Amino acid sequence: MASTEPPAAVTPPSSKPNLLPLASPTIITPSAAASVAVAPTASSSSPATPSVATPRPIPSDAEVFHIPSYSCWFSLGDISECEIRCLPEFFDSRSPSRNPKAYKYIRDSIVKQFRRNPSSKITFTEVRKTLVADVISIRKVFDFLDAWGLINYSPAALNKPLKWEDKDSKSSQHAADSPAGPSLDSTPPVRETSKRLCGSCKSVCSIACFASDKYDITLCARCFVRGNYRVGLSSSDFKRVEISDEMKTDWTEKETLQLLEAVMHYGDDWKKVAQHVGGRSDKDCITHFIKLPMGEQFASSAEFGSSINKLNQMKDDNNISSSSSPSKRLCLSPLADASNPIMAQAAFLSALAGTGVAEAAAQAAVTAVSEMGQGEPKADIRSLHGVQGLQDASITSNGSDVLKSVEEAHSGVNPKPEEKKVNVEEVEEEIRRVAEVQMKQIQEKIVHFEEVDSQIEKEWKQMEQMRDILFYDQLNLLKHERAIRKSGQQAAEGVRTQGDYVS
Amino acid sequence: MKPLPSTSSKTPVKFRMPTSENLVPIRLDIEVGGQRFKDAFTWNISDPDSEVSVFAKRTQKDLKLPLAFATQIAQSIQTQQTEFRSYKGQEMLTGEKIVPIKLDLRVNRTLIKDQFLWDLNNFDSDPEEFSKTFCNDLGIEDPEVGPAVAFAIREQLYEIAIQSVATARESRNAKKGRRGEYSSISRSTGAALDLMKLFSNRYSGVRKRKEWDVFEPMVDMLSNEEVEKWRDLEEA
Repeated sequence: MASTEPPAAVTPPSSKPNLLPLASPTIITPSAAASVAVAPTASSSSPATPSVATPRPIPSDAEVFHIPSYSCWFSLGDISECEIRCLPEFFDSRSPSRNPKAYKYIRDSIVKQFRRNPSSKITFTEVRKTLVADVISIRKVFDFLDAWGLINYSPAALNKPLKWEDKDSKSSQHAADSPAGPSLDSTPPVRETSKRLCGSCKSVCSIACFASDKYDITLCARCFVRGNYRVGLSSSDFKRVEISDEMKTDWTEKETLQLLEAVMHYGDDWKKVAQHVGGRSDKDCITHFIKLPMGEQFASSAEFGSSINKLNQMKDDNNISSSSSPSKRLCLSPLADASNPIMAQAAFLSALAGTGVAEAAAQAAVTAVSEMGQGEPKADIRSLHGVQGLQDASITSNGSDVLKSVEEAHSGVNPKPEEKKVNVEEVEEEIRRVAEVQMKQIQEKIVHFEEVDSQIEKEWKQMEQMRDILFYDQLNLLKHERAIRKSGQQAAEGVRTQGDYVS
Repeated sequence: MKPLPSTSSKTPVKFRMPTSENLVPIRLDIEVGGQRFKDAFTWNISDPDSEVSVFAKRTQKDLKLPLAFATQIAQSIQTQQTEFRSYKGQEMLTGEKIVPIKLDLRVNRTLIKDQFLWDLNNFDSDPEEFSKTFCNDLGIEDPEVGPAVAFAIREQLYEIAIQSVATARESRNAKKGRRGEYSSISRSTGAALDLMKLFSNRYSGVRKRKEWDVFEPMVDMLSNEEVEKWRDLEEA
């Protein structure tokens, strides 16, 4: 007689629970219903109303189950391709007890048993004690469901690596756990520190990194995007930290003044500028100069789009791409679904550059690509206009140089990197021109609207006239009608009297 | 149950479980360091042997038993597996065997007593199906009853199969001496009943009234104290 006694679950299984979509990366699939997510009920299972073919709003006491987005093919009603692929032994009729019906029985029982108490993990042994089948079949189905997150899955475990990333994440987890401590001992939470090492891939964080103050972990942008952090952390725990040489020491006013003087004197010769400033490399000078708030927002984003390559030729060590305002701290939620390498790249780049900049880049690239080859310098100005107001980078000699060189590039002439002079007035003129053009645009629009307005008035008057005419016609009609009626009556009377007279 | 395949009742058949699949009942009764672990389940003999250790490890982990259990469990399963396989090449006589299967088990709070007839010749029979239907029809709520019933049936079928191997061997030896004594052999095995005897009432297949009680399933729910009593009885 069997006499082992694990805890018995005796409640009748609830019929067809409702599944709902959640924000990525987990999805709760709808079995039949539409909207609003309800907090998952961990305790008592009130039986859900049976699902109907037409979508209905879910009643407030319905059950909600979370499954990961890569398992959205699952449905209790039937067997999907995925299952047939992963568990072929149930579908190839090699053994009589392993058939689709048995598979469905095992699978549905396991899932229902888990869903009776979704907050706690269900073990294989618990399950196999309650199923009438051989234990190995049960184990296979159980492992399958477990791997795909259809059981023993809770939204809190969001950062568990996908099963095919297991090897990857295991090694990085080991790395993350141990160096996270020592690497951060040397880097206090304050930003002005020396090189930062990424906790998981142990590379020097160069451009941007993500730090979690809560757990004291630093990750480079790549690791952050790929999700190589410890279980239990979520992407929102991390804050983006810009790393540029700028951050290490702030520019004093004196230094800034020296820089400006030097630039006025030496123009494009950054080496001399650096010498003049003293204590800063030429790279530093360039970056700081660009970031100086000169109040102009113009053409700085010419580096994006079609001319980015030309720019790179001209200034090979210009860190414009990383020079989004240092005070910006972006909280990014990277694409966790980094299995697509292209998306991972895009995510990485956007994580580096920040959302605003990335948007601008995308827009500009699209416009520039579509207008490339038309040979119109105006096209670039337009696209530049379109990207205005996104960065605080100053208009510099580089700015005007870029504009000129872009025009030249379009007409096929190679720009010469060394010929430009600093001319602040030229820049101001350009800005004036731009402002004028915009004013003209606005004026034209006003005129246009006035015209439209007067036209509308005319039409209105016409309509009134027509209305009057119509009214007049109506009156006439009525009059005639009355007259006719009267004459009709008279005629009728006349006939009668005549009739009397005759007879 | 599905209709009989056309096997002649007298030819010996290779040993196997008289069910649609070669599923073997495995019983575990392991004691390590004062802890006793008893279990019973169905095992698919055609699965690779690697499954044994995986299963043992899994069970030990899920039930949070000490590590020593894993090896013991694996060993026990393997022994029973080998035992089953040792019968493999041999023949068994099935004859026209309709055997009574008795259920007399306690699963948690549910007490089950039942008796029914099973056709040994029907190699398509499925104790699992029977058990599922049994639980559904009697409205048994405890999900652990199902596997226990299926297990009990299989165990008895297994026993009978082993016995029939033994008798087949005997008959072969006996054949060397005597000839044409098949019918006596099949009659001599106590478990089998002759079809004719069974349906002594020639005009209908319905059982006699006085036998109804014997063949009726009885399901009882026990209270806590009774459960304790039963448990003590079993352990003793």
